[in-house]
Amino acid sequence: MPDTTPALPGPAAPTLSPTPEQLAAWGLDPTWSRRVSVEGSDGQPVDWHVLDSGPGPAGTVVCVHGNPSWGYVWRDLLTTLPPEWRVIAVDQTGMGWSERGRPRRLADRVTELIAFCRQEVDGPLVLAAHDWGGPVAVGASGSLDVEALILANTAVGKPDDVAVPPLIAAARSLVDLVCRRTPTFVEGTARMTGHEHRDALRAPYRTADRREAVRDFVADIPVGPGDPSFAPLQACAAVLEERPVPTLLLWGGRDPVFHDRFLADLRARAPQADVERFAHAAHLVTLDAPVGPVVARWLTEGRHRAAAAADASATADADPAGMPARPFTSVLASLGTRSRDTSAAYDGPDGTLSWADLDARSSVGACALQDAGLRPGDRVSLLVPPSCELLVAAGAVWKAGGVPVVADASAGIRQLRRLVRAAAPRFVVGTRATVGLATATRFAPGATRVVVGPVPGTRAPGTLALEPEGSDSSGLRHVHLGPEDVAAIVHTSGATGPAKAVRYTHGALAAQRDVVGPLFDMQPGDAFTTSFGPFMLLAPSLQMTCVRPDFPVDRPSALGFDELLAATDRATVTVAWLSPASARRIVSTAHGRSAPIGLVMLAGAPIPPDLVAGIRAVTGGDVRTPWGMTECLPVTDGTEPEATGPLGGNSTGRPVPGCSVLVTPLDRPSDSVPDGTWGELLVHAPWMFDGYDAAWSADADTWAVRDGCRYHRTGDVGYVHGGLVFHLGRRRHVLDTPSGPLASVAVEEPVRAAVGRPVAAVGVGPTGAQVICLVVDGPGHLAVADASLRSAVRAAVDVPVAAVLVGRLPVDRRHESKIDRTTVAADAERFLAGR
Amino acid sequence: MKVLVTGGSSLLGGAVARRLLARGDDVTCFQRRPSLTGAHDVLGDVRSASALLAAADGRDAVVHLAALVAPRPAWADAYAVNVVGTEHALGAAATCGRLVHVSSPSVAFDDGPAIGAGAGPARYAGSDAYSHTKALAERLVLQQSTVPTVVLRPHLVWGPGDTQLIGRIVDRARRGRLALPDHGRALVDTTYVDDAAAAVVAGLDRTGDSDEAVGRAWVVTGADPRPLAELVEGILRSAGLDPAVRSVPAPLAAVAGRLLGRMWPGDEPPLTHFAARQLSVAHWFDQRDTQRVLRWRPEVGVDEGLTRLASWYATR
Repeated sequence: MPDTTPALPGPAAPTLSPTPEQLAAWGLDPTWSRRVSVEGSDGQPVDWHVLDSGPGPAGTVVCVHGNPSWGYVWRDLLTTLPPEWRVIAVDQTGMGWSERGRPRRLADRVTELIAFCRQEVDGPLVLAAHDWGGPVAVGASGSLDVEALILANTAVGKPDDVAVPPLIAAARSLVDLVCRRTPTFVEGTARMTGHEHRDALRAPYRTADRREAVRDFVADIPVGPGDPSFAPLQACAAVLEERPVPTLLLWGGRDPVFHDRFLADLRARAPQADVERFAHAAHLVTLDAPVGPVVARWLTEGRHRAAAAADASATADADPAGMPARPFTSVLASLGTRSRDTSAAYDGPDGTLSWADLDARSSVGACALQDAGLRPGDRVSLLVPPSCELLVAAGAVWKAGGVPVVADASAGIRQLRRLVRAAAPRFVVGTRATVGLATATRFAPGATRVVVGPVPGTRAPGTLALEPEGSDSSGLRHVHLGPEDVAAIVHTSGATGPAKAVRYTHGALAAQRDVVGPLFDMQPGDAFTTSFGPFMLLAPSLQMTCVRPDFPVDRPSALGFDELLAATDRATVTVAWLSPASARRIVSTAHGRSAPIGLVMLAGAPIPPDLVAGIRAVTGGDVRTPWGMTECLPVTDGTEPEATGPLGGNSTGRPVPGCSVLVTPLDRPSDSVPDGTWGELLVHAPWMFDGYDAAWSADADTWAVRDGCRYHRTGDVGYVHGGLVFHLGRRRHVLDTPSGPLASVAVEEPVRAAVGRPVAAVGVGPTGAQVICLVVDGPGHLAVADASLRSAVRAAVDVPVAAVLVGRLPVDRRHESKIDRTTVAADAERFLAGR
Repeated sequence: MKVLVTGGSSLLGGAVARRLLARGDDVTCFQRRPSLTGAHDVLGDVRSASALLAAADGRDAVVHLAALVAPRPAWADAYAVNVVGTEHALGAAATCGRLVHVSSPSVAFDDGPAIGAGAGPARYAGSDAYSHTKALAERLVLQQSTVPTVVLRPHLVWGPGDTQLIGRIVDRARRGRLALPDHGRALVDTTYVDDAAAAVVAGLDRTGDSDEAVGRAWVVTGADPRPLAELVEGILRSAGLDPAVRSVPAPLAAVAGRLLGRMWPGDEPPLTHFAARQLSVAHWFDQRDTQRVLRWRPEVGVDEGLTRLASWYATR
């Protein structure tokens, strides 16, 4: 078919079927394999091979493979979907075990899939597709009554700013050699996944005459308007955009061909889509990741929510006047009002930045980003350490209508790379060093790279300047932002589980700004300091001066008294947000000196009372321990930090007005606990997050609807007593003992008070039968504690303690204080298991 | 109830007999030497089927505790006492109707740690003749369905007067020859003798035809696991000895045990591979089902048990 290669006339390869033995060895039920005669695009019947799991009353999922693979790639769906779903994985013409010698282009394949579905399926139809099966299925969905789409590592069109995938480009130029005459392309694909799948992937393509369609498929990929399948592909893309149906995107994060920019492209075309991204899966995501359970769950519960979203997005354009009822002022409103104010918006070791400069420079940056092609809603990864430049860059992204993806350097380089890749930013904004690093380590394939600040001399090729020399902001196009628009992506610390991307809307950020100011006495014109890097972005929206102490921001424990004093000397700091690690360091390095600060917030529960007292002695002001999390901040006001409750734990104050807190039985978020008992804490607030990004399952897990209201399951446990919320640690750190669950903090607190050292209480053994092990912080590897420490620990608690160990307790990177109890539990269990 | 207890002169057998007597049962003890329990003693050997049958005459139930416990018994002796003896006990129980068979968690030992484990299948067939023959005996009683049988596997029974566990530890320590693998870090369940005896009595009360306890094996422990080091230290303190104990790396202990177990000339090698492994890896069990089914809970535990042990040593 391609003009560049001579078509080899001659008899087509015979049609083969996999043997029952082969199918069994590949983990497929041999009875699923059958042959179907389908009306071909040329009007002649064509002989297809399909894997068909048999009748299912709920509906049929027709699965379309890509190139070069076959129905085998849908094995996980075939084997794990509940029996009420019929799964049919087809082999396209010339592919897998279907008939050879019938050349096909994209439009032919669409026609044949439509014919197949009309012939074989009655009842609800779901189309699933992978790789270049994507355009075929999406194209067919335009002519079929499709309930839902499931798309995996595919594309229906190329993002404008992304080059043709180099592997595809390479394969095209040598298409016959790579794809047909040699098994290079088949082999390369097979090697993208585990050994156990390779025989099945190779089997239908053993000889050159069986690989003709593999070559034709690659040759058919359109790269320009002159290619025969260019228009059909555009038609497929149009179907996706114009006929929104519930869609689930399954995405392998390690795909060198369809990388995350293609995911971003699909999400832009189908904004209603749910996304489940598997960071460690590659191109053959349906083989690399356990997609079956996710699909099963999505088909039963998620599809309906997605249907509502699809309806909403279908009507959104029709009703542009549907303005939000809630009054909304953007977080950026503060900047414009101070465009002539020469007082400092930022004061740090790298210099000061006036409000006027912040406003002007961020406008220049916004203009530069728009000139570079940034469209409203585009994601921009901010790889800028806390500095003047961070405020300018964040302001520029917001003004340009972009969505900053806020990196937290304390996550560590590997984690950071994973998180940035998952966000699939169209732009990366950073210093020369961080942009260089991001380029070298492929943080964001296909993203435009932008360097902040004055860039003297030569720039690295391919990078732009955020503030190009001699530029101004006259060309800035103002973007109207609504409260429902996505405002930012931030990340959970990963201290208490795998780090997740948290999506905020402008409405939530504005609500947060409006509640935080009065609550914590954060007044416009006052100064504010913090040991948390991302918190610095809070100051401008509150019209406060951000004072950055001089310490490496990824090491909060390096912020000691001298660094704090230097900051408070530069400006009158009225409010400070400190991590427990910084607070501890400040207390231990104060040596009787004081640094007056009106109000200190210690964030990162649990905060022990002696730390509260220590900070109060140093600052002479009010100290509070508010509770909140990346997903919802604040939840409580942190008043009465030293109050004690009947079930132990730390007081985090009263729920902030507007925020409601529920206590529910563990793992039963729809019930309530009786008064006076503890459970999992659920929160709802207007300023909470919008959802987890690209993690449909995690997102579905986290929400519980109570009284018609969406509550976030915090994963924290605690109780309410006398109006105060007491924090008892994490759900996953609850000790599941035979006599019932015990909250780790409630066990630890009295022990910590008795022995005067950090302590972790962990459950060892299977859930429900766990025994309690207390690990007291001490130097070196784990060891059994001596008799006096053992009796001191046991005397402090009224629960049976199986083992008292001593060893170094690992802490998380962001707070340098949260004990990584999951690791402690695993280490303790391994230690106590012996060898 | 009229009960025949075999092995009444052992630590657990004696405690079971006394406990049954205390609640008013009519108890006969069958063993080679006097039980000193106050029960009616019939002296005999479980290797004799007729002696056992005679002792069981007119009884309502048999509690079979008699066994040959030794570090390295001759296979023929272990088989004759533990397997054939159990066959005889089963035959005796068939005449009176009910049986409690006392087994051991080591019948399921697989060389790896038991962490909150249940009662695994009695598949042990390794170098330790005791565990191997006890596994055969347990399978024997569980494979029949004519006599309602409750099988209990008490783990490391100890208490005042114990010559097996406590006696050996104290004796070793006195001779300066006690060492623990890896500083005794393995988490180990034990059963104080009174708790174990209460469990056996509870098992006897659960031998009714339709009881959930019948026809299965149940691990019995004090549900109070501790690192081995802590237990040994506590025992040595109770005996008035220096609690400091040497440590050997666990793999070295295993190798030494294998060599000594094979080559040691006497009956009691200082270490066997089996013992080294048992002391090197965790052994603790999920007791929820056992406690629910037996309707029994341990009441003494490790700390109170050690206090009682100390006062026993103090009066000697």
